[in-house]
Amino acid sequence: MSANDKQNMLFPTNEDTVGPYFPIYFRDERLEDLTSIHPGLIVAPEGKHIILRGRVLDRHGDLANGVVMEFWQANAKGVYRTPAHADNPDLDPWFNGYGRLRSKAGEYSFRTIFPGSSKGRAPNITLTIFSDGINRVVTQVFFEDAEGNDTDSLLSSLSEEDKPKLIARHDGRTADGAEVYLLDIIMAGDQETPFFDDLVS
Amino acid sequence: MTMTLQGRLLEVGPTDNTSDQRTPRKRLRLIPQAARESFVPYIPQQAVTRQGENDLTRIAPGAPRAQGTPIEVSGRVCTQTGQPVRHALLEIWNANMFGRYTHIEDHSGIQLDPNFLGLGRVTTDDEGRYTFWTISPGAYLARPDIGRYRPKHIHISLSGGSSRLITQMYFPGEENNATDPMATLMGDAFERNVGQVYETPHIDVHHGYRFDIVVGGRNATFFED
Ligand SMILES: [Fe+2]
Repeated sequence: MSANDKQNMLFPTNEDTVGPYFPIYFRDERLEDLTSIHPGLIVAPEGKHIILRGRVLDRHGDLANGVVMEFWQANAKGVYRTPAHADNPDLDPWFNGYGRLRSKAGEYSFRTIFPGSSKGRAPNITLTIFSDGINRVVTQVFFEDAEGNDTDSLLSSLSEEDKPKLIARHDGRTADGAEVYLLDIIMAGDQETPFFDDLVS
Repeated sequence: MTMTLQGRLLEVGPTDNTSDQRTPRKRLRLIPQAARESFVPYIPQQAVTRQGENDLTRIAPGAPRAQGTPIEVSGRVCTQTGQPVRHALLEIWNANMFGRYTHIEDHSGIQLDPNFLGLGRVTTDDEGRYTFWTISPGAYLARPDIGRYRPKHIHISLSGGSSRLITQMYFPGEENNATDPMATLMGDAFERNVGQVYETPHIDVHHGYRFDIVVGGRNATFFED
């Protein structure tokens, strides 16, 4: 976009904190488990089932209660359902790739399929967090021992110290037929999770 | 003069404990260009709205009116290039006239209204417009120890395509606007989050607030031509 176009841009409405009371009433269980469309349907997305599980911790290591988490990922073949890929034959008709949950106590568990590699990237899930006292923050979650971690452009932009903070650990357990991956998100402090700027970048 | 691009350093809301506990202190990292597209969630259309869900002044169509001043809130949602954000979902929540939420975690003990849930949903139309009715919310004491009130506000969560925004609409001329932590961080831009009063022909509501929403950031316009 040229500088001239930028001058004609409208001023954005400010983001504001979600506050403590994001309505649980708006919960949609279909967005908390992307491996199934509905228990009454035989159709379902392709791919290996996983559970991404962990805690969201604050600056003092306490659980951050009342957190809204959103997930965004490619399907098992590495294709994102966006207008840019509307005609891609590898879209999965049963997979949108968008999930959402609200964690009451700061612990989360999200069931989905293992994302495929997209455009040379390592498998990843984009994570958006809303919480009381902060506006939207975003980061990306990777998977231990996944192919492509070594060459991933985002992971490569981080220091050796920061990389493990975004790599979910393979728990070795399965739960209800899904492999469990663990990752704690640390909002602030010494062990702070790296977050990314999608407004400036 | 050239400036090196860097990510934002987020600010802590003054007198806001949770903001202090949860605000990342390190500067946000820049997203490498090769990874940028993966940071654009595209939220599928969710046909969840039901009849009457845009009228928060009643628990159900035909049910009695909640206490307080019924108001209309309306506006247009667009991106920074002026393109309408069509068929986006607005999830709305606000406190009752006394300043109490019906949320199970609101332990303030302030009076409830049996005719008010304070929860609503509406989708934008082909031009990005929306309208809902609610009860003008009460301000509530957020920090009893220092007597700080949260000013009257309505929470709005907007999702549609690559547009994602959680914000609050404030009310003009409220004295507590000036001391609100997050409003303070907005500086002069706070005015964009204040609804503008209008007279509405609907006899069922007292007056209206115009609240046009512009979804900022590169994600919202990512798939525009
Ligand atoms: Fe609130």
